[in-house]
Amino acid sequence: MPYLECRDLRRVFHHFTLDISFSVDEGELMCILGPSGSGKSTLLGAISGTDGSISGQILLDGQDITCMPIQKRRIGMVFQDFSLFPSMDVERNIMYGMRDVPESEKHAEVERLLDMVDLAGYGSRQVHELSGGEAQRIALVRAVAAKPRMLLLDEPLSALDAPLRKKLRTMIRQIHDRTGITMLYVTHDREEAFSIADRIMIMRGGKLEAAGTPEELYIHPSNLFTAFFTGEGSSIPMSCIDGDDSEKTLFFRPEDAVFGNPVSLEPHIILKGASMESHEYTGSGYLVRLSYKGCPILVMTRKKPAQQWADAPVQVCIPKDRTVILNG
Amino acid sequence: MTGHDGFYRRKALPALIVTAVVFILPMGAVFLKAFTSSGEPLRTFADPYTWKLLGFTVWESFLSALLSVLLAIPFSVFFSRYTFFGRRAILTMSDAAFALPAVLAVLGFVIYYGNNGMVNSALASVSGGRWSVKILYSFKAIILAHVYLNFPVAFSLITSALSSMPDTEERASELLGASGFRTFFRITLPKTWGMLLASFTLIFLFCFPSFLIVMSLGGNPRYFTMEAEIYKRTYTDVNPASSAALAIFSFIIMVILLVITGYGREEKRVSRRRRVLLKATGKTRVLAIVLSVVIFLFMAPPMLSILYRAFFTKDGTFTLKAWTAIAARSRTGTATSLGAVLNSLLVAAASAFIATNMASVIAMGAVRTKSRFTTLLTSLPMAIGSVSMGLGFSFIASRMPVRNIITSYVIVLAAHTVVVLPFAVRSIVPGARRIPERLALAAQTLGGDSKEAYRLIERPLLKPYRRRAFAFSFALSLGEVNATLALSEGRVTTIPILIYKMMNQYNYQGASALAVILLTIAIIVFAIGETGGDDNAVS
Repeated sequence: MPYLECRDLRRVFHHFTLDISFSVDEGELMCILGPSGSGKSTLLGAISGTDGSISGQILLDGQDITCMPIQKRRIGMVFQDFSLFPSMDVERNIMYGMRDVPESEKHAEVERLLDMVDLAGYGSRQVHELSGGEAQRIALVRAVAAKPRMLLLDEPLSALDAPLRKKLRTMIRQIHDRTGITMLYVTHDREEAFSIADRIMIMRGGKLEAAGTPEELYIHPSNLFTAFFTGEGSSIPMSCIDGDDSEKTLFFRPEDAVFGNPVSLEPHIILKGASMESHEYTGSGYLVRLSYKGCPILVMTRKKPAQQWADAPVQVCIPKDRTVILNG
Repeated sequence: MTGHDGFYRRKALPALIVTAVVFILPMGAVFLKAFTSSGEPLRTFADPYTWKLLGFTVWESFLSALLSVLLAIPFSVFFSRYTFFGRRAILTMSDAAFALPAVLAVLGFVIYYGNNGMVNSALASVSGGRWSVKILYSFKAIILAHVYLNFPVAFSLITSALSSMPDTEERASELLGASGFRTFFRITLPKTWGMLLASFTLIFLFCFPSFLIVMSLGGNPRYFTMEAEIYKRTYTDVNPASSAALAIFSFIIMVILLVITGYGREEKRVSRRRRVLLKATGKTRVLAIVLSVVIFLFMAPPMLSILYRAFFTKDGTFTLKAWTAIAARSRTGTATSLGAVLNSLLVAAASAFIATNMASVIAMGAVRTKSRFTTLLTSLPMAIGSVSMGLGFSFIASRMPVRNIITSYVIVLAAHTVVVLPFAVRSIVPGARRIPERLALAAQTLGGDSKEAYRLIERPLLKPYRRRAFAFSFALSLGEVNATLALSEGRVTTIPILIYKMMNQYNYQGASALAVILLTIAIIVFAIGETGGDDNAVS
C-alpha cells in the first residue's frame, strides 16, 4: 500500500486547474519536476494543508488527512524563502516543533541536529545573521526536529547559488537516507531532480505528465514533453525517415548520435545529408546543431567540428535501441 | 487560505465592535440632536452659508495640501538621493513634527510672527519702527500654519517613499543622455505620482477639519471652517441642534471625500531593493547645507521662540515667574498647571495603550483577511472632525444619569481613543504587511496553532511598529484640543486646553512654560518610539 496517496485532487483557478492523482511509497524521495506555473507548489500546499480549498482525497499512511488541520497532519515543510522565525534565535527555531521531546533533552537534540548539517555551535545565532545556505539548513533541521511523518520541500535550493545548491542537495539526500523520512521535493531543475530523487513525477499545466525513475524518464520518455524537459534531444517525424505517414516522431539524445558510419553491428538509423548549422562548446564536448530535411537535430561529439563539415552534407547514425518512437 | 483567516477575523472582532460602538454612540447622539429638532438638517443643508463654509473649507485644505506637497518635492528628491552630515537629524526632526500638537504651532506663530512678535520686533529695531509684516489673523496665516504643520508630513512621506524605490530607471535615463530635469519629469514624477497624490490626500484630510488654527490665527468668521462654525454654534450661539446638523453635513462630505480619495486603500508594495544614496560633495554639499538651513529656519524658530518666552519677558528680561506659578499650583480658571500635566499624561497613556492594542489586532486582521471594510471602518473616525466628536460625546454626557469626575475621564478617554485610533492602525499596518503569511503557516506545519503563532512569532515582529504607534498616539492625545475643548465641562483640563485658555488671557509666558513641558514630553515619547529601530525586522 502506498504511504501517501492523492486521489483526484482538484483545485480550479481562473486560468488554471490542478487535477492529479499519484502515490508515494514509504521512505521514498520523490521529486516533482515541472516548469513554472505547472502546479507543483499548489500541490504541496494541498498536501500540507496550507491551501485548504481542494477537492479529492489525501491518504497518509492509510489515514484520510484531506480535511485535517495543518497541525494535526504532522507533515513538515521547507519553504523556498526559509521562513525562519525572526523573533527567535536558531535554537528556539529548531525547538519550536519539538513537541514530544522532554525539556531537558531539547538542547542536546538541537546540537545533534545542527551537527548533522555542519552548523554545530550555531544555536545562539540570530536568524538575520545567517547566510542563505545556513538559513536553509536550519529550516531543514527545524522541520526534521518536529519528527514529521513526511517532509515536503518547496524549491528549497532555488534561492541559492549553484555550488551551494550542489552541496546542499547531497546533504538533503544524506538526511533522507539517515532518517528514512518520506520526502516530496519540488524543483524545476532537472539536474537537481536527477541527482537526488528515487522517483520523479513530471507535471505540466496542473496534470501529471509522466512518472518514473530518473533513468526511465531520461532513456525512455513516454511523451515529447517529458523527453525535452528531461534533457537535450532531437525529434524527427517518422515520415522524414522511412516515408511512414503516421504521426509518430523519432526521438534521440545528442550523446547517442555519431557522425559518419555505424561503429557497431547493431541496427542503426542513418540520417544522410544533414547539414551543420552551428556548434557550441559545453565543457565535456561540442553540441553540434544540424538540419535534417528541415528538422533541427543535435549531435554531441568530443572532437571540434572542422570548417569543411559546414560546407558538405554529413551523415548521422543513431543505434536503434537508443531511440524512442513517440506520439505527436 | 485556511482556518487562520478566521482566527484573525475573530481576534479583530472585539476591537472592531468597540470601535464601531465608540464611534457610533457620539455620531448617533449628533444625529438624534439634529433630527429631533424641527427641520434643522434640511434648513442647514439648504442654507447658502453652509455651502459657503464648505467652499472655504475645501479651498483652504486644497491650498494647504498643494503648497505642502509642492514645497516638499524638491527637498525630498534631494534628501532621497544624497547622504550628508545632518541628513538623519533633519529627517528625524520632520518625523517628530508629524506629532507636533497644533496648539504649539499656534502659540509659536503668535509669539514669532505676531504683530508684536519676534519677527516684527526685530524688523522694528532694525528699521527704527518703519518696517513690519502683518501675517497673523488673516487667510495667509491659516495657510502658513497648515503648511508649517504639514510640510514635514509631506517631506517625510515623499522622502521615505522615494528612498524605498530603486533608482535604476533614473540612472538608465541619465546614461541615455537625459538631463536631470528631463529625468525628473519623464521618469521620477510619473512613477511617484500615486504617492504624491496619497500625500496630498492625507494632508487635505488633516486640514479639512482644521479648528484651532482657524479659530486662533484666522481671527475672522470669514475664515471659519465647518469645524470652527460647529464650535461657534454650540458654545457661542448656544444652538446645539444647528451645530449637530452642520456636523452631519460635514460628516457626509468627509465620507464622500474618503471614498473618492480611496483613503485606506491597500498601498502598493514597494520594492525591497532600496536605492544607494550618493555622498554629497562639492556643489551638492553646498546645496545640502542650503536646503538643511532652509528647513531648519522654517521649522525651528516658532518652537525656539516658545522656549525663549518661557524664560524671558517680552522685553527680554530673564524670569522664572511662569515656572514658579506652575510649581505653586496657581490656578487658571479651575485648573492648576500640574493637574493639567497629570491629566494629559494619564489620558494620553491610557488612550495610547488602548488604541495600540486595538490597532494591533485590527491591523493584522485587515492585512490577513485583505478586508477593505476593516480599514474603512477604522478610518471613519477621521471623517468626523474631533470637534464634532467632542460635541457628540458632550450630548451623551448630558444624558448620563451620573455625572462626576470619573464619567468625565471616561468620556474624554473614549473621545481621545477614537481620535487617535486611525493613526495607530496606520502605524501598525505596514508592519503587519511585512510579516510573511508563510511564517504562521510554517509554525502550523511544526504543530503550533494560530494563537501560538500570533503570540510567539507575529506579535514580537510587530513590536517596533507597536512602539511607534503608541508614541504617535500618545503624542496626538497629548496635543488633542478640539474634542477636549468641545467636551469642556471644566472637569478634565489637559495641557493644551490650559495653553489655549492662557493664550486667550494673553498669558503667553505661562502658555510657553506649559508648551515647553508639552514639547518635552512629546519629544521624549517620540524618541522612545524611534529607539531600537526595526528589531526583529523580517529579512
